[in-house]
Amino acid sequence: MAPLKSLEQYPRIINSHFLAFCASHGILTVEDFLLHDIYELAALAEQQPDPEGLKEGIEELLSMVDGELHQPWMNGMDLLADSLQNKHVLSTGCEGIDLLLGGGLREGQLTELVGPSSSGKTQVCLQAASNVAEKHMGRVVYLDTSNSFSPQRIADFVDLATHNFLQNVMKNILCHSVFDIFTMFDILHQLELDLRSQNGPRRVRLLIVDSISSLITPILGGSGLQGHSLMVSAGCLLKKLAHQHNLVVLVTNHTVGGEGGAPKPALGEYWKSIPHVRLMLSRDRGNNTCSISILKHSSMVYLGSSGEAIPILSKETQNIMTRVTVVVMSLMMIFMIGTSIDYVPAPAPNPLYHSSDDY
Amino acid sequence: MEVGRLPISASQRGKLIRAGYTTLSSLSSLSPSDLARGAQTAWDMLHEEQLLRRITTSCADLDNILGGGINCKEVTEIGGVPGIGKTQLGIQLAVNVQIPVDLGGLGGKAVYIDTEGSFMVERALQIAEASVLDMVEYNDLLRKEHRKCQVNLKPNDLLESIYYFRICSYTEQMAVISYLDKFISAHKDVKIVIVDSVTFHFRQDFEDLALRTRLLSGMALKLMNLAKTYNLAVVIFNQVTTKYMEGSFQLALALGDSWSHSCTNRVILYWNGDDRYAFIDKSPSLRSASAPFSVTGKGIRNSASNHKRIKLM
Repeated sequence: MAPLKSLEQYPRIINSHFLAFCASHGILTVEDFLLHDIYELAALAEQQPDPEGLKEGIEELLSMVDGELHQPWMNGMDLLADSLQNKHVLSTGCEGIDLLLGGGLREGQLTELVGPSSSGKTQVCLQAASNVAEKHMGRVVYLDTSNSFSPQRIADFVDLATHNFLQNVMKNILCHSVFDIFTMFDILHQLELDLRSQNGPRRVRLLIVDSISSLITPILGGSGLQGHSLMVSAGCLLKKLAHQHNLVVLVTNHTVGGEGGAPKPALGEYWKSIPHVRLMLSRDRGNNTCSISILKHSSMVYLGSSGEAIPILSKETQNIMTRVTVVVMSLMMIFMIGTSIDYVPAPAPNPLYHSSDDY
Repeated sequence: MEVGRLPISASQRGKLIRAGYTTLSSLSSLSPSDLARGAQTAWDMLHEEQLLRRITTSCADLDNILGGGINCKEVTEIGGVPGIGKTQLGIQLAVNVQIPVDLGGLGGKAVYIDTEGSFMVERALQIAEASVLDMVEYNDLLRKEHRKCQVNLKPNDLLESIYYFRICSYTEQMAVISYLDKFISAHKDVKIVIVDSVTFHFRQDFEDLALRTRLLSGMALKLMNLAKTYNLAVVIFNQVTTKYMEGSFQLALALGDSWSHSCTNRVILYWNGDDRYAFIDKSPSLRSASAPFSVTGKGIRNSASNHKRIKLM
């Protein structure tokens, strides 16, 4: 902790007399000052030759600590204003997913896509990237760990395929290949610096990490908890970037076997509480559709274990009749979503998942 | 002013100092793009992708569903039951990567990492001879259109360009894959790395499954890094196992769920009646599709009626 002596550059209030007074009570660093009882210090100052000067010194030191050592306090009105003005909702490009999420991906939140292999996670990311670059006029930063970023697919998603328009859209999607977690930290810190000084018509609105689990799995476990601490600090850094710079952050995770063979998200218990929104994707091999459901959402509540959700309404929930209507309407919505989400169908289902007599 | 006192993150400071920039004046003459490396816009990547050649599998149907062949800069996992033809496909790809650029190939060399001991040199020679004959034939076709070039390759030359590593334990496998970075920076013309098969040493007698997951995911990232940095194709072969899902025992690829996310594309080879088929299971840009192929004396070719599975009487 910084010694009080380094504050001598503010000689008007924090002069050597004040420092000597503090030192006589065992206060030599800023930490000591904060731990000491301020009222007791003020009372002791009364007995000194220059009580007003000493008290001013105490006030000055407190205000410096308040102003520079932590983020400013925000009250509810500030947060609400920030949320209404700065934290918009970005559409993902797929109507069903937008309907499920109540409009789309929210800025300032970390959204996680969980799913077994080949369930459509990368496709959702690519479509969201193309949609944000095209319709929301934003820039996209895509961190790719498995060389799955397909520019051809992005070009397919863009509606108006004239050369100039396509060029404009695709020039605003930046793709980094990352193969270890430290490179990801480097890129995120660089991005933080760039975001603080960004100007120009287009700002970064979407950050995608596909997939964060392949960066974290090699370091998780083993003898120490260093892997866990890196994972949690990566999550905190992503959430901080999302909140301070009004980004949508989208990450993908894979699944591992859980109880009874049902797949559960990888990365364990420590990661569970980090994303704001967790979505589970699954692919039905029989009729080749993918489905998406909510595992966790910070502003929706669950009806059942299958992940159906209703949005929390403020005053209406007190009215029982309206609550029933809301439940019925959302069940209808879920029903519609179930039939409206399907991806490109394949002509033949996966042969390995058939019980075949040949073997 | 010294770079060491700049308000930037420690990792960046370290990078600048390692690169030799110790004072601000040395930095003032650079532009940001000199310092920033590694990012590309989607537009640039689209153009690069269109210029990349693919490695043909010598089977037209299979090439069609793969969008032209095996793609460079990607890791392709190919899995199937024993006897379906994975090693045959591996040898065919190791030979096909050497097709000269004038004839539409990559003109590169191959690294073949053999963990099971299934690579047979006589078979490789047979496939190489058939490949040279095909190339000469194609060259004659081109000559008719006044686009000829010299095919000076002999089958022995083709065999010389395959670098073969034989692996006997999982530690050797990890070591070779870590060493490959140095090897390929010394042999820049390597365009394909084949690992046949990646599962063999990780399946039996592995006590600590958590360690296995960590090792495998670390290895996957290294292979991805290789593919991207040196612009080559990585093909890994996998075996099958039974899994209990949806109420019955079904076949699935080995090494579990976490490994299934470590490849860019996945192709599954299977029997359909008496014919061999390939199915695209996972791909970021290819549609799911099936195609028949066959294993002949000359290697992997299109399916024909006389190349079916032999049933023992």
